[in-house]
Amino acid sequence: MLQYIESIFTHLSTWGLPVIMLIVGIAEFSFGLYEQRWTRNERVLDIVCFVVPKIVVRPFVAYVGLLLLPKFLPGAKGAFAWVPFWWGFAIIAVADDLTQYWYHRLHHQVPWLWRFHRTHHSAPYMGMAMASRQNIIYTIFFSQIYLTTTLVYLGLGYPVLFVTGVKSLITTAAHSSIKWDKPFYTVKWLKPIGWVMERLISTPATHHAHHADTSDDGVGYYKGNFGNMFFIWDIIFGTGIITRQYPSGYGIKHYKEEEWYSQFLWPIFKSKREGSELSLHGPMVGDSVEASK
Amino acid sequence: MKLDKVTRNKITRDALISIFLFALPVLLMLLSFKISGQRPWKQQAATAKVSR
Repeated sequence: MLQYIESIFTHLSTWGLPVIMLIVGIAEFSFGLYEQRWTRNERVLDIVCFVVPKIVVRPFVAYVGLLLLPKFLPGAKGAFAWVPFWWGFAIIAVADDLTQYWYHRLHHQVPWLWRFHRTHHSAPYMGMAMASRQNIIYTIFFSQIYLTTTLVYLGLGYPVLFVTGVKSLITTAAHSSIKWDKPFYTVKWLKPIGWVMERLISTPATHHAHHADTSDDGVGYYKGNFGNMFFIWDIIFGTGIITRQYPSGYGIKHYKEEEWYSQFLWPIFKSKREGSELSLHGPMVGDSVEASK
Repeated sequence: MKLDKVTRNKITRDALISIFLFALPVLLMLLSFKISGQRPWKQQAATAKVSR
């Protein structure tokens, strides 16, 4: 049984998750959940963001793990291999996800960082198509990847396999346009589970709110709900709201449908759209321009 | 465009709380070893010696 579970998580971290995303993505598309908003520009951007990091970023992270760490931390390989599995699981779950919470939160709250994360929020729809959508700089500096790689080097590779597997399933499911969490708020006997779940992990309701194009409706909350695997960080720091509802619109109000290459490679390539945050002399945060009008 | 003071203060406060949160599972693990008397790092060292 244990071998079977181990095999699932091993495959999940290689080809398993991309296959799940493709199957769910096709289902979402077939059900019309992208609401005709998946234009050519959005399609190219989503596909490039899905494919390129797997070819470029993964080998780079492997390079850090296999070549750089032995140089910087000689003799430390496997130093913490004695840590019991479940303690290793807890240590990594907190270290990885809390680091990502901060990486994500700072990209929203520190104005000069926003444009590196904007690409993930420009999609006017939710779903598998946009789940991997990120600017390349944001992906390369994805801080917790290096932390987790270091922990693998130090001997915690086995619990890392399970934490990253569980985390990838939760974060992917939270981005899905299939509102699978709805029964947990409506079916009586599921409600207590739903109450715990929505506070512990990210769900479509809380994460869709983070991707909303407005907070005026009391449902959308793009200035909070930063949690990725765990939502509990938002509860602790007071950066989250739970409404059990889904926003009416997604994306960013000042979106100018910037060219896919500028969204993927800014600041290397700038947008030609006038007034765009990604253009040569564009505003750092478009929201502030909208507000000052 | 600069970071406003309220946000900066909240970030500082929450970052300090986070240091404790990062350390919490490690501290709980060490506490559990203290209570149970387990010394798993010694086991690993002994195994490494035997295998040499």
